[in-house]
Amino acid sequence: MRIQVSRTGGFAGIERHAEVDTSGRPDAQEWHALADQAIAAGRGTPPIGVPDGFGYRITVDGRTVYCADPRLTEEQRKLISRVLKEGA
Amino acid sequence: MVPVMTTTGGHEPVFCTIIPPHVLDTLSQTADRTLAAKARRTLEQDAFERTRRRLTTVLGAPALAPPGGAAEDKPIRTIHDARHRQDLPGKKVRGEDDKPGKDATVNRAYAGLGATFDLFVKAYRRNSINGEGLPLNATVHFGEEYNNAFWNGEQMVFGDGDGEIFLDFTIPVDVIGHELTHGVTQYTANLTYFGQPGALNEHFSDVFGSLIKQYTLGQGVGEADWLIGAGLLAPRVTGTALRSMKAPGTAYDDDVLGKDPQPATMDDFVRTGRDNGGVHINSGIPNHAFYLAATALGGHAWERAGQIWYDVLTGGGLDSRASFADFAALTLAQAQTSYGEGEELQAVTKAWEQVGVPAA
Repeated sequence: MRIQVSRTGGFAGIERHAEVDTSGRPDAQEWHALADQAIAAGRGTPPIGVPDGFGYRITVDGRTVYCADPRLTEEQRKLISRVLKEGA
Repeated sequence: MVPVMTTTGGHEPVFCTIIPPHVLDTLSQTADRTLAAKARRTLEQDAFERTRRRLTTVLGAPALAPPGGAAEDKPIRTIHDARHRQDLPGKKVRGEDDKPGKDATVNRAYAGLGATFDLFVKAYRRNSINGEGLPLNATVHFGEEYNNAFWNGEQMVFGDGDGEIFLDFTIPVDVIGHELTHGVTQYTANLTYFGQPGALNEHFSDVFGSLIKQYTLGQGVGEADWLIGAGLLAPRVTGTALRSMKAPGTAYDDDVLGKDPQPATMDDFVRTGRDNGGVHINSGIPNHAFYLAATALGGHAWERAGQIWYDVLTGGGLDSRASFADFAALTLAQAQTSYGEGEELQAVTKAWEQVGVPAA
């Protein structure tokens, strides 16, 4: 499973992009579960969000959804945090 | 105190949920009773939140309203600590007139709210965000190493930064002022946070953020650095600030952050879908116009240039979907109304010409 996260907006307006390929990872199942739940709760178009809030684009195997701070689901928050931390 | 009904211009504060109400409606009628019950509870909670949000806009926060006879020029500040979680508002840690505690972040937020309140009341006779003494609330230590600060429609929220790229977001007073000004904009012109009106929304926050810093330091236009977020960048970052009103595009150039993408003129306007249509990027253009007008006039930027800008933001003529050109035209008209045909009108006219915005 290929998971890509893009983050835009924020007070600084600085973009971040990262991706993770779960193949061969021992925790792949965990990633898949998070990713599926994140996608299920995402929106088809970028929400406007709040002033200076981060906006996120999550793409899982070619399927893209959007969400924005501060109204992320727990799974979206975890997935985004892990991809941005561990992804390339 | 009798709550005052304020006209909100027909706008509602934003509360956008991920699952649309009609989906929950359908679920709440489903034969599966567990699913139905869950959907019903969510609908009730959402309705509660919407009602609470609307009431906050219309009535302020009645529970925290000042007692009869309270001075009109005093803020009512509450600082909360999210203790690195993302639940808001968190635990109350400092209220109005409480002594400073050991947490410097809390104390900076408290002082910054006061400084913002001071500029608006002393320079513009505006009593808090809504002009009617709305209590000022902030939450600090939001999230873990959270590299951001934002306004959530009701309060300010500050992260600690990760120490690598950003430091604590309460360090620069202009960041605090920037966030609070989103509240002022919400209660007045309520500029839509997308595209050109969104960039204007950002612009007002940078303008009054900068003015709060200048006012606090007693700086004239020549002494001000015209930077936004100076002191926020961690030592390893190559840059002086996040944005420059004096020279958009020059604030930073770093191997991790990239280069400051702001344009100074309409020739370099950035068309993008990201960042709500580049609201933090294209704000550079009106930012630069304000800098040009203020420095042309000299003295203190909050006095004439700031007054014109404030009057347009709050005067009722600025549409929530205004373009740069719409806004420019209003600043010209305001300059004329307030000061006649003299140097103020000339400075504002010339500033918009220099950044390439036609005054429609």
